[in-house]
Amino acid sequence: MEVFFDTYFDFSFMSEHFDEVLAGFWVTIKLSLVGGFFSLLWGLILSVLRQLPGRLLAPVRWLTIAYIDALRGIPLLLVILGLSAGLATLASEGTIPREIGIPQWFGESDPFWYGVIALTLTYGAYMAEVYRAGIEAVPRGQMEASRSLGMSHGQAMRFVIVPQAVRKVIPPLLNDFIALMKDTALISVLGLVETVQTGSDLYSEFFNPSGYTLGAFMFLIVTIPLARLVDWQIKKQDEKFQRGIP
Amino acid sequence: MSSEVILRVEGLKKSYGKLDVLKDINCAIAEGEVVCVIGPSGSGKSTMLRCLNMLELPDGGRIELHGNEIYGGGKTHDLDVLRREVGMVFQSFNLFPHMSAKENVSIAQVRVRGRKRSEADARSVELLGKVGLAEKVDEYPDRLSGGQQQRVAIARALAMDPEVMLFDEVTSALDPELVKGVLDVMRELADSGMTMVVVTHEMNFAREVADRVIFMDQGFIVEEGNPDDVLGNPSADRTKQFLGLVLSR
Repeated sequence: MEVFFDTYFDFSFMSEHFDEVLAGFWVTIKLSLVGGFFSLLWGLILSVLRQLPGRLLAPVRWLTIAYIDALRGIPLLLVILGLSAGLATLASEGTIPREIGIPQWFGESDPFWYGVIALTLTYGAYMAEVYRAGIEAVPRGQMEASRSLGMSHGQAMRFVIVPQAVRKVIPPLLNDFIALMKDTALISVLGLVETVQTGSDLYSEFFNPSGYTLGAFMFLIVTIPLARLVDWQIKKQDEKFQRGIP
Repeated sequence: MSSEVILRVEGLKKSYGKLDVLKDINCAIAEGEVVCVIGPSGSGKSTMLRCLNMLELPDGGRIELHGNEIYGGGKTHDLDVLRREVGMVFQSFNLFPHMSAKENVSIAQVRVRGRKRSEADARSVELLGKVGLAEKVDEYPDRLSGGQQQRVAIARALAMDPEVMLFDEVTSALDPELVKGVLDVMRELADSGMTMVVVTHEMNFAREVADRVIFMDQGFIVEEGNPDDVLGNPSADRTKQFLGLVLSR
């Protein structure tokens, strides 16, 4: 047991290298926030495309469904590797501009942006399903009542359906965000020095895995409160619809 | 009847897959008329009502509002005009749960009729007072009883100043002691001259309030006429059988 603690909980090592791990964790945070933001947006676009009405737009719906199914069924790691390799190859051949193939926007490295794009492509697909479930969970009568008052489909969505759906999707979207944040670790395969890569670098140099432990703690400081927030949100919603039975 | 026809339905058909719910419906609703539609469940009466508001798309026939074709030849026209002029109240109320009673009544006035918020709110408060809910204007639907919610729903439809009001079994989901309050509001509305089409199982209401009763069965109008004839002395066997079952309770 003592060996275990000495190996993983070397506190003097942790305090010595705290700044390095924190710098890595800051990259994780940035990656999560930027990737999370674009995933939310892309997911919303996908869910709207998937629900476009009419026969004429059926191909758009099918393509969107195919995309969502595909990206939900492929490992994120494969998307990260395939995307970075593909874009870098195309850029070096000159098929696409270098600024797009090897993106280094706003002072961030190209692995960072490959990570953001891969997270967006994959988590956008997950989040599109969450939005859809939220909209479908609003009873049919709400749309009928809105339309019977003369509102257009768009007005009914904007003033009646979406405001109710938003409350229902916040907990599952937060859950997806927690998963996304943990999955940013996969981008370390591209050499991005985020939390996991920092721990790995420290281990290679000093043969001490406590850097991993410190990184894990930093994750938990963010993810546990987020998970509690999800539970609290769900409980708050349930209380509105349940009575009695404590 | 001499007054102007507001809604005219000719040869209306509707089916779900192989099930023909409406086979050949013909009727006309005149201004100021109160028409009660009765019949066994599955007879198509709710579907007919929902077709009048295009919440269900018919599969054939014609619907006219003030002589203008709203549905015909498989196509719809001016749906928004139709829905603005035709108010609907549902069995399950369908109030917007994230809005107070007043906001429920105001939202379409502002967004569809283009009224100012203050003007719409004033009208909402007035209408909620009329349906006996003056003290509940700021309550949310989950704090209201079923009967109160249904009266808010009636006020919400009235706020659009419709020419016709459709009622789809509006008391069927209510506890018995709450039914009267809703029926009283509808009775007052009928007395004020509102044109109404009421799908209902309340035979006494039909007898006392209706100008005309329509009996439907298996997608057809079997019999129609003034309430005393249809309810008191029906001519069709199917009507007699139905009324025998309903009135003997």
